[in-house]
Amino acid sequence: MGKTTLIMLSLFAVFTVLMFTRGMGHRNAKDIVIWTQDFTPGRVVLDSVLQDYQASHPNIKVSELYYETEELRSNFIVAALGGSGPDIVYGPSDQVGPFDVMRIILPMEDYFSPEERSHYIKDALVWRRNHLFQVADRIGNELTLVYNKKLVPVPPRNTDELIKMGKKLTKDLNGDGRIDQYALAWNYIEPYFFVPFLGGFGGWVMDAHNNPTLDTPATVEACQFILDLRNKYKIIPLESDYDMADALFKQGHAAMIINGPWSWDGYKKAGIDFDITRIPRISQTGLWPTPMYSPKGYSININVKGEKLKQVVALIKYLTSTRVELRFSATLSTIPTQIAARENPAIKNNHLIQQSMYQLEVSRPMSIEPVMRAIWDAMRPGYQSLFAGTLTPKQAAKQMQQDAVQKIREMKE
Amino acid sequence: MAAIVTTVQDYLSDLKKNRLAYYYITPAFLVMGFVILYPFLYNIVLSLTNMNLTHFRNWRIIGLEQYVRVFSSPDFYSILLKTIIWTVVNVFFHVTIGVSLALLLNRPLWGRSIFRTLLILPWAVPQYITALTWRGMFQYRYGAINLILVKYFGIHQIQWLSTPLGAFSAALITNIWLGFPFMMVIALGGLQSIPQELYEAAEVDGAGRWQQLRNITLPLLKPIMIPAISLGIIWTFNNFNVIWLVSNGGQPADSTHILVSYVYKAVFNYYRYGYAAALSMVIFGILLIISVRFIKQTKGTKGAY
Repeated sequence: MGKTTLIMLSLFAVFTVLMFTRGMGHRNAKDIVIWTQDFTPGRVVLDSVLQDYQASHPNIKVSELYYETEELRSNFIVAALGGSGPDIVYGPSDQVGPFDVMRIILPMEDYFSPEERSHYIKDALVWRRNHLFQVADRIGNELTLVYNKKLVPVPPRNTDELIKMGKKLTKDLNGDGRIDQYALAWNYIEPYFFVPFLGGFGGWVMDAHNNPTLDTPATVEACQFILDLRNKYKIIPLESDYDMADALFKQGHAAMIINGPWSWDGYKKAGIDFDITRIPRISQTGLWPTPMYSPKGYSININVKGEKLKQVVALIKYLTSTRVELRFSATLSTIPTQIAARENPAIKNNHLIQQSMYQLEVSRPMSIEPVMRAIWDAMRPGYQSLFAGTLTPKQAAKQMQQDAVQKIREMKE
Repeated sequence: MAAIVTTVQDYLSDLKKNRLAYYYITPAFLVMGFVILYPFLYNIVLSLTNMNLTHFRNWRIIGLEQYVRVFSSPDFYSILLKTIIWTVVNVFFHVTIGVSLALLLNRPLWGRSIFRTLLILPWAVPQYITALTWRGMFQYRYGAINLILVKYFGIHQIQWLSTPLGAFSAALITNIWLGFPFMMVIALGGLQSIPQELYEAAEVDGAGRWQQLRNITLPLLKPIMIPAISLGIIWTFNNFNVIWLVSNGGQPADSTHILVSYVYKAVFNYYRYGYAAALSMVIFGILLIISVRFIKQTKGTKGAY
């Protein structure tokens, strides 16, 4: 074998190693990367505000990359552990808990002075272990009652009204024995969409010490209530998931839907004349259903250091500034986190935002603790068994609790 | 030990004799090492650790504890049983439908090339698109399946996606539809390689169609189909996409998981890295044993080695 062959092989090996290690090291301090899970309209606004930022900071280049929420989390965990990943990660506040436990995001309190922090509402600053880990640019994800004004001129104020109204609105229009129009449709098989009713019956998913509290009379009553809507009053579809409920509402086959702010744009585009209001009060208890809400914001990768860190902090301050938050609100009807932005006439006169805030008054924040994930997943099997007819509400509540305890233990062992 | 020493000595002496050949395959070995060997070894190490959400950076070796957890969990056995049912039912229908269609297409038939193209279509469409399309078709109210059942067969709508049996059946039907073209293509290739003279001689001897199928076609298809079936078993056993997308992540009530989707959930929902790595090794072991035994028992590769 000649020397040429050896040299060629060595070059190939070096090339291979370079290919594999490309991008693993630290990027240029002026080159900032954001990973976001925001949906398309949000990313369009983000694009536009980032372009403006780069125009006023010619030396800075900001790129954004979209991942679906779960994909973003898992990819960020792997990348940050390997010493790489984006500089900024954007998403709902419940990702803060796992990221902090894994020590892959940076405490930010040193970079936001008390005076700067005072410009945000309390929920916007996500703290854990006395460290600031996320600065939110919006508060949201809360579920509300969305109603088609053509079918429901005045929304129901309580569940008695909902059921009464529901019987009239649920119709077989063509006489083929199948229901063509439902009073209400929503993704009721998903625990997140069940939680408002749990709160409405006086229960909640966990206590102040993050212990699951699912095996309670409130859970049983809330489960029974949803089952009754389906089986006794027959005002909701027999089978429903998110897409189906969404399609029913968009096609005018459901008079009302329980959904979040991310869906409104789609209803506008579908030409539905809709409005939003609080989910009706539970007549049995007199309590309002309590959807969960969560801030959505920016966190910094633990691997960001030095000069780069200064640039990253400056960018986050820009992205959570009053001016930028108002631009997001104008397009997405999101609820801003800057106190000044919330006082702006554009927000005060935005009917959807005001109605959202009306719902938020009775909503509860989603826990950022990692056990929340275990509770969601523990709820699913027991809760969904109700609709498969394999468990009674009492059995379902018991199973949810048992599963939650087991999954939390497994997460920690 | 002696065998290992002998192997290493043989390798070193061969290295001296065929140095150039080894240089040629070095790049391929390097790439294989990076993308297969390193992750595999890393997974083994991970399976011996307590790495999870709370021990993400400060993990330590805990021996075989994760394996004990895997085997002592009742969930493991129920999901394993479901995975076996999933694999057996799928592969049975893949092979039966695939070989039957190949036999049909191997005969003079009007529009044969059109049928062949149409039957390969399920294979050509990306799996996730097929899975999501089928999920839509199984939808209770608007899904094509229920609409057809009600309109043409007078059967009441079936709750495909909200009952455990319905959702599992929906995933099975989807994967059967996706998987038969592969077996059909392989079988068709095998059928075309069988010499025509054998059938002519059989006819002269008075053998009927069934005897020809039993004594010529099937035995000569066997060496081609066995590796394909082995691959089919491995792919189906590990088929994450279809089960995950059709059942929307194991719904309802986490009742449609097979082992591979259960591993995914353990890692990405619960951050149980050590446990999931151990479970992955168990899946690897199961598949290795099944494949080796299957190939040995059927002597499927006798002609090749």
